[in-house]
Amino acid sequence: MNFKNLFIYWRTVLMVAEMTIRQQLNDGFVIFTILFQPMIIAILGLYMLKDKGPEYAMFVVVGSGLTGLWSSLLFISGNSISWERWGGMLEVLVGVPTPFEVIVFGKNLANVIQSLLSMIVAYIFAALFFGYSLNIDQPFLFIVSLLLSVFAFISFGLTIAPVFVMYRGVQQWQNAMEFPIYILAGFLFPIALLPNWTTPISYILPPYWAARALHGTSTIGASVEQTLLAWGMMILFSIIDLLIASWLFKVMLYKARVDATLNTE
Amino acid sequence: MRTIVNNLRLFWQGTLLSYIALFAWLRPVTYLASKIVMPLAQMLFFTFLGTFATGRGNAHFYVIGNAIQIAAVSGIYGVTFSIGGDRWAGTLLYLFGTPANRLVMFFGRAFMHIIDGALGVVVAFTWGVVLLGLDLSHTNLPALALTITAATISTCGLGLLMGCLSLITANVMFVNNTVYFALLIFSGANVDISSLPVFMRAISYALPLTRGILSARLLIAGKSLSEAMPLILGELGIGLIYGVLGYFLFMWFEVVAKRRGTLDLV
Repeated sequence: MNFKNLFIYWRTVLMVAEMTIRQQLNDGFVIFTILFQPMIIAILGLYMLKDKGPEYAMFVVVGSGLTGLWSSLLFISGNSISWERWGGMLEVLVGVPTPFEVIVFGKNLANVIQSLLSMIVAYIFAALFFGYSLNIDQPFLFIVSLLLSVFAFISFGLTIAPVFVMYRGVQQWQNAMEFPIYILAGFLFPIALLPNWTTPISYILPPYWAARALHGTSTIGASVEQTLLAWGMMILFSIIDLLIASWLFKVMLYKARVDATLNTE
Repeated sequence: MRTIVNNLRLFWQGTLLSYIALFAWLRPVTYLASKIVMPLAQMLFFTFLGTFATGRGNAHFYVIGNAIQIAAVSGIYGVTFSIGGDRWAGTLLYLFGTPANRLVMFFGRAFMHIIDGALGVVVAFTWGVVLLGLDLSHTNLPALALTITAATISTCGLGLLMGCLSLITANVMFVNNTVYFALLIFSGANVDISSLPVFMRAISYALPLTRGILSARLLIAGKSLSEAMPLILGELGIGLIYGVLGYFLFMWFEVVAKRRGTLDLV
C-alpha cells in the first residue's frame, strides 16, 4: 500500500469507517463477535483465574478484548472484500478513482475500532459484576500501545482479506484459525506454557506483540525497553504487512479483471 | 405395518438427505477444519488457560469438559442448520405441504448429527489422550461411550428447539453462537459448577451437557456405571424435554405460518 494514499484519502478512510460501523452494528453476527463472544470469554477468564488474585482481572479484560479484536479481524475484515463481491458492489468500488486498498483500510479501521468495545464491555463487567478495582499500570504507554495495536491489526487484516478472496482453500480454514491465534499470541496466558517449538511462530504474529505491549503496560509492569521492543515489532510488522497487502491487492484485482470474476465467485 | 415401514423410510431418507444437503456444499477440508481442527484448538485453548489458572495437575478437568462440549458443535450448529436450512432453501413450503408424519420428519433431522457429534467427541478424547496426557486406564469405556451418546442426544435436543427458533428469526448465527459459548460457562466444562452463584447453577442444571460432563469426569476418575447412571439418565431426560418442546414449537409454527401465509418468508 502506498502510505501517501492514507494521507491523501484520509476523508475517504474515515467516511468508509463510519459507513461500515453504521452498517455492521445492525448485524447480529458482528454484534456477537465484538461484544458477546469476548464478554463470555471474559466471564470465563475471570472465573477461571480468580484464584490468581485481583491483579489478573485487568489481564483478563485486555486478553478478552484482544480475542474480540482477532475474531473481528478474521471473520469480518477477512470477509470484507467477499461481502462486497456478494453484494454486487466490488465492481463499483474497484472502478472508482479511490484506490481500493484505501477503502478496505477504512473498513478494517471500523472493524478494529468497534472491536475495542469488547475491551470496554469486559472492563465494565469485571468492575460491576465481579467488583474488581481495575487500574492500568502505565496509562500513557498503554494508550500508545493500543493505537499501535490498532494499526498493526488493520495492516494484518489487509493481508488476510485478499488471500481469502484469491485462495478459497485458505478461507475454508477460517473457523479453525480463531483459537490457535488466541493460544499462540498469548492473549489470556503466557506463551511460556506452550511447547518451545511454537515460540518462533508467536514471534512472527503481530497480535503476539500487541498482546505483549498491552499486557505489559496494563498489568505485568513491563520495562520501557520491553515495551519499546513490542512497539518496534508492531511497527515493523505493520510496514511488512502493508507492503505485502499492496502486492496482494494488485495481484487480486489483476486476476479478477483477467478472469472477469469481480462480481462472481 | 405399512405405515411403520413408510415412516421408517421417511425417517431415514429425511435424516440422510438433510445431512447431505448440509455438507454437500462444503468440501472435506471445510469439514476437517470445522469439526476436527477447530474443536482441538478450542480444547487446547481452554486447557492451557485452565492449567495457567490452577496448575498442570488439573489439565484433565478441562480436557474432559471441553471434549464433551464438542458434542454441541453438531448438536447446536448442525441440527439448527438442518431444520433452518429448509427455510433458507425454500423447501419448507413443500415439506409442510406433504402429509408426512411430522414427528418422524422432525426428529429425523437430528439423527445423523447424533452420530457425527459422538464421533467428534471421540476424536476430541483421542486428542486429549495423545496430546494432553489424559489417562483413561481406569475408565469404564462402554459407560463413557454411553455418556458421550447421552450428551450428544441432549445437545441435539436443544438443537431441535433452536432449529425451530431459526424458522422465525433472521439472526440464526447470533442465537447459535451465543448458546454455544454460553454452554462453555454453564456446562461446567471450564468452571467447577459448585463455584458458580446459585442462579447460575440453576441454569447449568437446566441445560444439556452439565450432567454429561459430570458423568464423564466420574467415569474417568474410575467410578462405576451405576454411580454415573443417574447423571446419564438426567442428561437424556433434559435432551428429551428440549426435543419435545422443539417438536411442539415446530407444530405450532406450521399452523401459524399456514394461517398467516408466511411459510416462504425469509
